[in-house]
Amino acid sequence: MQILIYILKRILQSIPLLIIVSIISFFIIRLSPVDPLAELRLNPSVSQETLEKETQRLGLDKPIIVQYGKWAKSFIKGDLGITSNGEQVSAKLKERIPNTLLLTIIVIALTWIVGIPLGVAAALNWKTPFDRILTVLTSVGMAIPSFFFAVLLLIFAVKTGWFPIGGLTSSNFLEMTFLQQVWDITHHLILPVTVLFTLSLAGLQRQMRANLLDVLDSDYVKFARAKGLSEFDVVYKHALRNAINPMITLLGFEFAGLLSGAALTEYVFQYPGLGRLILEAVLKSDINLVMASLMMGAIMLILGNLIADILLIITDPRIRVKA
Amino acid sequence: MKRAGYVILVLILLVICVKSCLHADYPQTVKPALQPHSITEDINYPEPQKNVTIDGVDYLQSQAPVGKFGGTLVASTIGEGPKTFNPFNSKDNISSQLSEIMYDGLLSTNAVTGEPIPRLAKDFTVEGDTYLIHLRKGIKWSDGKPITADDVVFTWQNIILDGFGNTSIRDSIVIDGKLPTVRKIDDYTVEFKTPQPFAPFIRMLSSPIAPKHVFEPAVKKGKAYFDTFLSTNIDPQTLVTSGAFKLKEYVPAQRVVFERNPDYYIINTKDEKLPYLNKLVYLIVGDINNEVLKFEGGELDVIGLQGANVARFKELEKHSDFKIYNLGPNTGTMFASFNLNNRKDKNGKFNVDLKKQCWFQDKNFRQAVDYAIDRKNMVMNIANGLAAPLFTAESLNSIFLNKDLKPYDRDLEKSKELLKKSGYYWDKKGHLRDKYGNHVEFDLYTNAGNTEREAIGVMVKQDLEDLGMKVNFKPIEFNSLVNKLVNTLDWDMVIMGLTGSPLEPNGGKNVWMSNGTLHMFNQRPANYTKDDRYEWEKRIDYLYTQGALATDFEGRKKFYDEYQAIAYDEKPFVYIYSPLIISAIRTRFKNVYPTPLGGMTYNIEEIYESEVKSET
Repeated sequence: MQILIYILKRILQSIPLLIIVSIISFFIIRLSPVDPLAELRLNPSVSQETLEKETQRLGLDKPIIVQYGKWAKSFIKGDLGITSNGEQVSAKLKERIPNTLLLTIIVIALTWIVGIPLGVAAALNWKTPFDRILTVLTSVGMAIPSFFFAVLLLIFAVKTGWFPIGGLTSSNFLEMTFLQQVWDITHHLILPVTVLFTLSLAGLQRQMRANLLDVLDSDYVKFARAKGLSEFDVVYKHALRNAINPMITLLGFEFAGLLSGAALTEYVFQYPGLGRLILEAVLKSDINLVMASLMMGAIMLILGNLIADILLIITDPRIRVKA
Repeated sequence: MKRAGYVILVLILLVICVKSCLHADYPQTVKPALQPHSITEDINYPEPQKNVTIDGVDYLQSQAPVGKFGGTLVASTIGEGPKTFNPFNSKDNISSQLSEIMYDGLLSTNAVTGEPIPRLAKDFTVEGDTYLIHLRKGIKWSDGKPITADDVVFTWQNIILDGFGNTSIRDSIVIDGKLPTVRKIDDYTVEFKTPQPFAPFIRMLSSPIAPKHVFEPAVKKGKAYFDTFLSTNIDPQTLVTSGAFKLKEYVPAQRVVFERNPDYYIINTKDEKLPYLNKLVYLIVGDINNEVLKFEGGELDVIGLQGANVARFKELEKHSDFKIYNLGPNTGTMFASFNLNNRKDKNGKFNVDLKKQCWFQDKNFRQAVDYAIDRKNMVMNIANGLAAPLFTAESLNSIFLNKDLKPYDRDLEKSKELLKKSGYYWDKKGHLRDKYGNHVEFDLYTNAGNTEREAIGVMVKQDLEDLGMKVNFKPIEFNSLVNKLVNTLDWDMVIMGLTGSPLEPNGGKNVWMSNGTLHMFNQRPANYTKDDRYEWEKRIDYLYTQGALATDFEGRKKFYDEYQAIAYDEKPFVYIYSPLIISAIRTRFKNVYPTPLGGMTYNIEEIYESEVKSET
């Protein structure tokens, strides 16, 4: 019961936040001197009537406040509006969200499955050659900017011909058997996943290592050892449980990045995810699409934090008492 | 000691990584050269397609060599892919390009000569304002229903003339507020009548024809519904089309796949139904770099090349399985323009400073600037030699190009002579001053971010400074620039580009007619009534009106030749260059007959793959 009230409180708190985010982003987009019709204006074959019709259709003839009011009203009703090409924003997003989720979930799952054990192993083998090699390798991973790493891998794919050059499926995807389709998607995913994985692995592994080292140094661990507990019990029952708490907060942030975190890599690999869609929308000042994606980002962040907090309440009795 | 070991280990790992990425790249040895001639000149084009009637069906017979059936051609489009599959709603290039594949028009264009030729129509006659179209008997929509005069009349009357979807076709055929009419004579004959003879109309007959039985319910539901009709999330199987290929699959942000229409009305000389290719794939790629990588990696079969890539691919060509074609200058024009405006704005202030007006409105001044500009230098240094210097208002591949207007080189002496004639002189410091002693100084704008135009701006500035002018080059944001050109009108000189049509000069009427919406060198506000046209503007207005009214090609060309001669002499636009179209295609594709007008794959139904790759 207590936890339900807590969730409700948090949701209510987030409403003013969302309103502020939406106002700021709406006005920034509309006040920037990007004219969605500039291209049309310079096209010799477009008549004045067409220009006026377009201005009315996009609502550009009304003051910004009125435009915002209209947008907010339909947003609350759950209608995201239409893009500047007349397509449903929700339909556009629906096309892309599964692709982006496929990529980011694989990456997050991989980094956690690999990163946490590696962090633990490094902490337990503190200052051994194993730890040092890992440190160097993860430094390399952190040092390469994702954009250039992605471009390098693309060139690698072109020169060797081992990997497809971007995209998610091959052009004869429809004619493949199910197993071939699975392999085709995997084949296309290897490079983008490699880029994102290398980057986030380094951070996660180091965080885990540092946390565990901190905890291993604390008095209660010394006490547990002194009590004569087996090393396994000391590490996995006592130390690890405490070391994992900050990681859960981190998971909340990762959740927020599910939809937007991979945009740059998606762009380089021509991955049919949200990144490319939103980049083009921003360039064309396609207001409904940009607003939808910004709001989605804000909501995901709030949700991520909420989930992290709830998880913390479950794992950490100390917080439960305070709440 | 231990530490050194780790460092070496890491270095080795890195070296392995880098080594596998590096591959012997062919050195770039050939310097780009001026390539004014189109290498398409030595292609032997087949005879034009002919009408053949077999068992009561009017086929169109391709005269190209007989090829092999099967195979796939993979092309690409840059951007976010099609926005609609409704050919009457498309507002962007990709949507129109794809709908042209799926929907044929009554006529099309001979890609070599530019003449209108029959397509869905079997033949056509034009007499003054009357266009009589005979349709092919026995040809069918992809769902098996016959294509008849009803479809044509419905498309024109109920969709185009009633203003459904994108109204640009309708806008361009309004003559003095009146629209053409269309009438069914019998099941296979249609008659169009324009309010007065109007030559550009014939080109409009290549617009797609819609199947009445599919589009009629949508039209009945009104314009708002029609705007969303056949959107991209439609099931491909439900599209009823008439083109050589029909839609098979659309994967957002990845590709559009077409498959062969087995019942198409074009046949080869062995009377087998074309197209040869089984599939036509358009990959949707986000940017040029990725497109080039995909072509290099073998995922693409045909590509348009630009800038430095051309020289690199030219080198690669010798060792590779593709051939590069130079299709000649495209319809794009790059120019510098002066503001000839002599009106006051709403606040009673002149749009252009009075002293600047004296310069810009002086023909000698404009010609002097024109002679001072070093086009060849710009072609070599900015366009990598892949452009042709431009001197005429019609683009170099236009069938209406006035070939008497000769190109010339930079001539500073002539510039100075022209300036002296108008009373300009140079002071001790070499600054150019007009006859009232004002130093000639003005602003040059272009849109920031367009590196090509920015580079041209820098070179124009340098060229004009050789004449002692002071040019303040100011690249500004695109939208602000458009606002200056169209609304506030407070600019001096600008570098811009426009695209025209190689077939129809009348498309440029918004630029050249004095009341046009893009008459940028002397833009009048909307609903401006006072007649303050320059004499030559009046003449161009007259020529443009008459050029559209005359119907035979020779008659029209006379008017358009004169307008180009006026533009060449008066220099409201100082034209700079047109980029060349360079395309590459894999050599395993045969029956490739690229032309400057049609591009690479206009004859897609005739193209075949000589060695069909096994489908993997």
